[in-house]
This record gives sequence, structure tokens and C-alpha cells, in this order.
Amino acid sequence: MSDTSAHSGMPADELLAAELALGVLAGAERDAAAERAAREPAFARMVAAWEERLAPWAAEIAEVSPSPLVWDRIAAALPAQAAPHASLWQSLAFWRGLTLATGTLAAACVGALIYIGNIPQPAPLIAAIDGGGHHHFVATLDTRSGAVAVTPAAFAADATRVPELWLIPADGKPRPLGLLRADRTVTITIPRELVPHATRDAVLAVSLEPQGGSPTGQPTGPVIASGKLTLL
Amino acid sequence: MDLDANRSLIATALARIPGGDRAALQTVYRLTSAKLFGVALRILGDRSEAEDVLQEVYVTVWRKAADFDAGRASPMTWLITIARNRAIDRLRTSKQSRRMDPIDEALDVADSRPIADGALETSEDNARLYGCLGQLARDERAALRGAFFDGNTYEDLALRLSVPLGTMKSRIRRALLKLKTCLEPNP
Repeated sequence: MSDTSAHSGMPADELLAAELALGVLAGAERDAAAERAAREPAFARMVAAWEERLAPWAAEIAEVSPSPLVWDRIAAALPAQAAPHASLWQSLAFWRGLTLATGTLAAACVGALIYIGNIPQPAPLIAAIDGGGHHHFVATLDTRSGAVAVTPAAFAADATRVPELWLIPADGKPRPLGLLRADRTVTITIPRELVPHATRDAVLAVSLEPQGGSPTGQPTGPVIASGKLTLL
Repeated sequence: MDLDANRSLIATALARIPGGDRAALQTVYRLTSAKLFGVALRILGDRSEAEDVLQEVYVTVWRKAADFDAGRASPMTWLITIARNRAIDRLRTSKQSRRMDPIDEALDVADSRPIADGALETSEDNARLYGCLGQLARDERAALRGAFFDGNTYEDLALRLSVPLGTMKSRIRRALLKLKTCLEPNP
């Protein structure tokens, strides 16, 4: 590559970075360049800059759905979930989730005691709204008034989307209940016609929606967490 | 699809992976696997090879997510780069045949418009790159296209476009310099 800079007018290093990013190198040349990128931060930055320049071209490539089995293979290739993960114990979200979930359960217990003192009031229902091994929200439902209080636990706010709560009764059709907050408990009064559906084993789910909530009346973003209403 | 919203969803999910959050990896997979599979399939031309690569890509994402710096790179660039590199590595080591058919001029950038892509960059990035690619000579663009989309090496491209190897190297290097000068006029 002695003719490198003469031909291109680019410093030899940067040309090599561009060639690596573009993918025209082969064999020992490619290996050597990749090794350099792993070793030299300055060279790695040049490679990254070229990757950034070229990547928008990939917009032209059509999306193709892989076989659903691929995800199963990926999940199987990850380290076993049961092994205690050091970073979990350092995770603020984890501790915040645990503390809040526990606190909410305690509050719900107090609520239950009050209810028990007022028999024959119906008992509240509770749902731990989980996803990915975290309690995202904890919900307590007063079946008499139809008020559901939803407390954020390990839910991490998203810059552009808002969490929306859905009731999914036995018929499997999600009904929108309202928007939740990442920073405080929100109490939503379930519409009167939906109260009969808010029973034990109905599911509460949370999806991420555009500001203002789902424009369609159905979840449009990913459902990140869900949980069944159960008796305390 | 709101481009910025999608970008921020992917970046947020990537940031949760180093804590061991499998659901976060699954979110990244849901949002990006069809695009990355398209990239790998285009290079390898074989579904089963491309699926093997896709698996490697997301296991790599799981292990390396802490290296991703949202302040510096776009999440899709990071992911597409991993997918392209893995697919090219596989292409170089397997007996998989490279694409050596004539480079499709019908799809040439001179005739196509920038495509807004929900998973990818903002349309401005896109338009800028397309504008600059459009200023290249047709044979320069064809050579870059064969390298970027099909994973061709210098030698592949020389054979595919029937020019001597030295000519192909000069052509690509000239094209890269023009591209850089056009994308960043004030160095």
C-alpha cells in the first residue's frame, strides 16, 4: 500500500480506516486492520467515523423477517439467568423497584386490614406489572369504586414515549385506562362499563405510546410489562 | 414511525443490557432484527447463513452493549456495523459464493431517492449521503455499491467489473476521498 496516499490524497491511516469500514479488505490485511482498530483508539475513531458516513446507505436494504427460531437460539446462547449477576445488585433500578414494590405491598396490606375491618366490603385486587424480570408498576384496584392506583417501581422513563395502562379482560381485547407516570402514583377511575371486566385474573398491561397516549385506542407501541389481578 | 422516538427506544434498551436485562435485548431484537437480517442476507445470499450471523450479532450485542456510546454514535449505525462485519467475516471464511453478477444499475442512487427508514438515520443524514454519492462517477458508485451491499473485496470488484486490480483500488480510493470531501467540506 505504498501508493496509498499518492492515489487518494488521504492520509494512509485514514484510507485504511475507510477501507476497513467499507469492507473491501480481505485476509491478512483485514485482520491486521481490525486488530489495529482494537488496539489504537485514534484509528478506531477514524473507522467509526467512516462507519457513520456509510451507514445511512443501509436504508436501501429491505427489512426481512428472520425465522422466529433465531430469537430462541439467541436466548439459549446467553449466560444462564439464574446465576447471580453482580451488576443487578448494583442496579439502582433494581433496588428502587424492590423498595417501592415492597412499600406498595405494605401499603396494600394496610389497605386490606382496613377492608377486613369493614366486612362485607369486597377485597382489593393487586397486580405486579412485570416485564423482563422487573416490577415496572404495582397496581391496587378497589373493586367497589373502580379506582386503580398504579405506582411506578423499576420503570425507567423514556424520553419520547409515555406509559399507558390497559385492561385486558377474559376476551383478550385491550381497553385503554389512561396514562401512567414514572415519578409518582397515578389513580385512575375505571370507566363504569369496564368495571365488571376488572375482575380477578384480568390482566393489566403497560405499553409505550406517543405523548398523549395511543391515537388508535389500541396499543401502538411495545407492551413492556403485564400482570394479572389477584386477590391479596 | 417517529424516527427519533425509535432511535431513542433502541438506545434506551441498549443501555439496559449491561445490567443483564434480557427483556432489553429482546426489545432491541424486535426493533432491529428485520433490518439486520436484511443486511446479512444481502451480503450472504443464504437465509440459513444469515440467520447464523444474526444470532452471533445479538450475542455480540449482549456482550458488548456497554461499549456503545449513545453520545457518539447512532444505535443503528453501531448495530448495522456489527451485522456487516460479522456477515463479511463469514463470507470470507465460508465457501459461500460472493455476488458477482452485474451490479444492478436500476437500483443506482442516481435514479433512486433517499429512503426514510424507521429504524435508521434521520432523513437529513440520508439525503446528504445520497447527494454526495450522486456526485461520484457511475463506475465509482458501482464499485462502492458492490463493496457496501455485497461485501465484495478489491479483488472481487476487479473481477466483477472487469478492470485490473490496481485500477479498482485507485477507483475506490478516489471515490472515498470525494465522498469525504463532499460530506465534510470544511475539514
